[in-house]
Amino acid sequence: MSSLDGTQAILEAAMRGAWQRQTVLTENVSNAETPGYHREELNFESALRAAEGNSEALENTSFEPEVQSQVSGPNGNGVSVDQESALLAENGLDYEALTQMLGAHNETLRAAMGL
Amino acid sequence: MGLFDAIDIAGSGLSAERVRMDVTAENLANAQSTRTAAGGPYRRQEVELQAVPPGDFGSALEGAMGPSETVPGAAATTSTSGAEAPSGGVEVTGIVNDPSPDQLVYEPSNPEANAKGYVQMPNVNTVTEMTDLISESRSYEADVTAMQTSKSMFNSTLELLKP
Repeated sequence: MSSLDGTQAILEAAMRGAWQRQTVLTENVSNAETPGYHREELNFESALRAAEGNSEALENTSFEPEVQSQVSGPNGNGVSVDQESALLAENGLDYEALTQMLGAHNETLRAAMGL
Repeated sequence: MGLFDAIDIAGSGLSAERVRMDVTAENLANAQSTRTAAGGPYRRQEVELQAVPPGDFGSALEGAMGPSETVPGAAATTSTSGAEAPSGGVEVTGIVNDPSPDQLVYEPSNPEANAKGYVQMPNVNTVTEMTDLISESRSYEADVTAMQTSKSMFNSTLELLKP
């Protein structure tokens, strides 16, 4: 099903990205003590920017997490728990903002349709 | 990508940290144990952690097959639990003995003392165990926070459905 308009499409894609980023960040936190683990990061904004303005492309965008080679611990682990917690909180708020925007957008559509 | 992947991954972290806390508690409890069933003093235990790669169908199938020598009845139960592809996270691959040498303590009155009055004590250092315990409980809290963030994200999605 194609989206009604561009705003809806980009908000949906961004929510998908933030949701996937949450999974990636949670994985980093769970592996904070695993020797030799490298943290992963999902930069979904760049993928969104590439597909911007094209609803079809936005709907089919997939996001790939990237492995970061930085090492912060003596056992070869690259996770700093406080940094991950900050990013998690940030991502959660990001997602919250996106859902509120989508909610407001739906409200506008509803008003236009007189529902 | 599943709907509850983030919560499952945080859950794997919670159980791994719990195992580490159990092992640390055992080390502390046995810090003075000079006798074991295997002979000699207690040896300090350590937990091995490993990152679980987000699963595909092939690895899920392999997990479901299980070890080949299991009896048919037992294989049926493992195949149902292992059929789902893992969403990632962390797993405990084993609990191993710490190879560091035992401590020798001069205590001639101890019945375990050798001819020179020395007792072989476990290679457990209480200070190390206590600092490990702090790091484990902090990691546990971080996993709980990650889980809570995922839960509130899920809740805000549900809010969209409300008229």
